Amino acid sequence: MMDATLQALADPRRRQILALVRGRELAAGQIASQFDVTRPAISQHLTVLRNAGLISERRAGTRRLYRARPSGIAELRAWLEEFWDDGLARLQRAAEQEEASGRTTGGD
Amino acid sequence: MDAQRVATEGVIDREIRIRARPETVFSFWTDPTKMARWMGRDVRLDPRPGGELRIDYNGSDIAVGAFVEVEPPRRIVLTWGWEAPGDATPPGASRVEVDFVPDGDETILRLRHTGLVAEAVEGHSEGWDHFLRELVEAAGG
Repeated sequence: MMDATLQALADPRRRQILALVRGRELAAGQIASQFDVTRPAISQHLTVLRNAGLISERRAGTRRLYRARPSGIAELRAWLEEFWDDGLARLQRAAEQEEASGRTTGGD
Repeated sequence: MDAQRVATEGVIDREIRIRARPETVFSFWTDPTKMARWMGRDVRLDPRPGGELRIDYNGSDIAVGAFVEVEPPRRIVLTWGWEAPGDATPPGASRVEVDFVPDGDETILRLRHTGLVAEAVEGHSEGWDHFLRELVEAAGG
């Protein structure tokens, strides 16, 4: 799941699309009109973002509306925070162990 | 949306107290054998400005970066990314600043990781791309 999120965000255009639908819902056509690329290309980007859980899709009549899912980003952020929490806890143990053994042997 | 939240979205701040002197803690960032005791399985690094860093976690997740500042035993700054093609944080894309603040015989370690992809998503896409290019250049890429 995290791989899909990271891959989806690796593309600058997809990051722009995501920023566009953050906090507001837009139709595919409204999103496409912001970019100088074909409508099918935008649809492809929307599919990747949706599969990664970064945006939600809702149908209203014949239109499809898109909106960013804050929880998608929150998951990525939580993953990175855990990465450092785990690492720093291990660093703390290793450094304290080394310091303690240095003191008992009386030197560096 | 609130400006302060936007500004800090792509940043991770951590602070931890370690019962060891800054010299000891610092060495766990500059000695590859010591670094492998807390991060990664195989570590290669050259701890001087411009020197490279490569941390292999499990044979497929590999972090790469370069040292930007090395000031023993007070401060280290390095660039950080993942080697896998297409990763949202490619080599050089993000920056890790570590300060080692002495407090008696102990150390307060402050870590700040900036330039993360969440920041780009918060409406700073152009800034992100610019930042990335600058960092890649600074890293000699």
